[in-house]
Amino acid sequence: MTREKKVENYDVVVIGGGPAGLTAAIYAGRARLSTLLIEKALIGGLATYTNTIENYSGFPNGPKGEYITNEMKKQAEEMGVKFKLTAVKSVDFEGTNKVVETFRNKYIAKTVIIATGGRPRTTGAQNEDKFLFDKGISFCATCDAAANTGKHVLVIGSGDAAIEEGMFLTKFADKVSVSVIHDEGKMDCNEIAKEAALANPKMDFYWNTVVDNFEGEDMLERVNLKNLKTKEIIPVVTDSCFEFIGYLPNTEIFEGLLKMSGNKYVITNERMETNYPGVFACGDVRDKWLKQVSTAVGDGAIAGFAAEKYIAETEQFEEVLMQTKKPGLIFVYNAIDPDSRKFLSTIDAYEKSKAGTIAVNRVDVYKSTGLADRLGVTNYPAVVITNEGQVSSIVYEGICEEGFCIETFDELFKTSCKVCK
Amino acid sequence: MKEVVIDSLGEACPIPLVKAQNAMKEMEIGDVLIVQIDHSCAMKNLPEWARKEGHNVEIEEVDDAEWEVIIEKAK
Repeated sequence: MTREKKVENYDVVVIGGGPAGLTAAIYAGRARLSTLLIEKALIGGLATYTNTIENYSGFPNGPKGEYITNEMKKQAEEMGVKFKLTAVKSVDFEGTNKVVETFRNKYIAKTVIIATGGRPRTTGAQNEDKFLFDKGISFCATCDAAANTGKHVLVIGSGDAAIEEGMFLTKFADKVSVSVIHDEGKMDCNEIAKEAALANPKMDFYWNTVVDNFEGEDMLERVNLKNLKTKEIIPVVTDSCFEFIGYLPNTEIFEGLLKMSGNKYVITNERMETNYPGVFACGDVRDKWLKQVSTAVGDGAIAGFAAEKYIAETEQFEEVLMQTKKPGLIFVYNAIDPDSRKFLSTIDAYEKSKAGTIAVNRVDVYKSTGLADRLGVTNYPAVVITNEGQVSSIVYEGICEEGFCIETFDELFKTSCKVCK
Repeated sequence: MKEVVIDSLGEACPIPLVKAQNAMKEMEIGDVLIVQIDHSCAMKNLPEWARKEGHNVEIEEVDDAEWEVIIEKAK
């Protein structure tokens, strides 16, 4: 049954179609990069699990999460982004070309943006597995609320998702019970939600409780809660239990490749760069403080922009700076430094005197140090000498002194010192 | 290798998933099941269930908010 995988090439492959991935794709598409977004199921990610999003700027009146992400998807399509709905099976980030494989395809990309987000955490209580997938345990009130019209449902958790989705469920269910791990009156959600929930006549609370086990024949029939203080077991008869107890990152396929936190979130810098050049991570999958649609969108913008810069710099580095036709001289400077600017005229004079026999290039580090980093330059200004596409010398000292340089440069082409004094 | 198509258009959760689960029981390894859906809730549980069971899954968006979930039975 092994058939050849179809190979396709892209500038950018985005893994994950939530707000972070969609925004990264919009930025990449807008930069006219050929962009593919791979999503394992429904475009929109965890935002589609939320019935109302009250705090995403620019969208008043609490729209459904799916509404916002569908608009993002439309925008990405307008930017020429292609979509593939399937799971990524493996990745290879070594080398300049990154490889992303799915069940039937092999995608080769200049850059990869990881936006795989998270998934709902489960309680791990006994028999939980038996009732997943529409057998009674749900993580999405929006999806399953209507099926609970007139019923008694149980919500586990007390964060924003638990309480806000719990209140949404009261529009359908007759009674919504909430299992809260904390002491009476203490919840993890925002104050507005807490007050509204406590005042809601359809809601009641089991304080200091966690799930002990789930019971039922084929479908869920009863959830046994355990009071952590009294050890008492409290049976709650219900055929629907909604779990909102946080999230786990979707990082299994990157384990051993990407640097991760103790909780398996991907570690990046503020440019969304991972430990692999050309591989970026954004959104909930990142190790960061606040995980919201807003912060995911911000991350995605940075990752899309960073991917564009990375591709442009790679092309410039390989085709221009590391050219092999002539010996090369690269002046690395910061345009806001007056001394460096003054030196530009010396570089011009040198270039002219060599009448095209030496390839002279100028690299300004003001906006990005990416090219300087690739050259191995750590201070500015600096002069880099190349021969046959290899760096032969880097000079930091003396290059800004009047009259010193032209002779020095000629000398540098004869010698080869990695960092010259 | 057999191909089975389930028309689950217009059906909300959990109907598409239950139909798919029942159909898969009757199928052989290598057979392909195509479930046509237009309720996004099924996009959350159907592919995830099939992958957890170890099958290969791809989805085609045939129209706006209309999908074909293609499941190749792998075991």
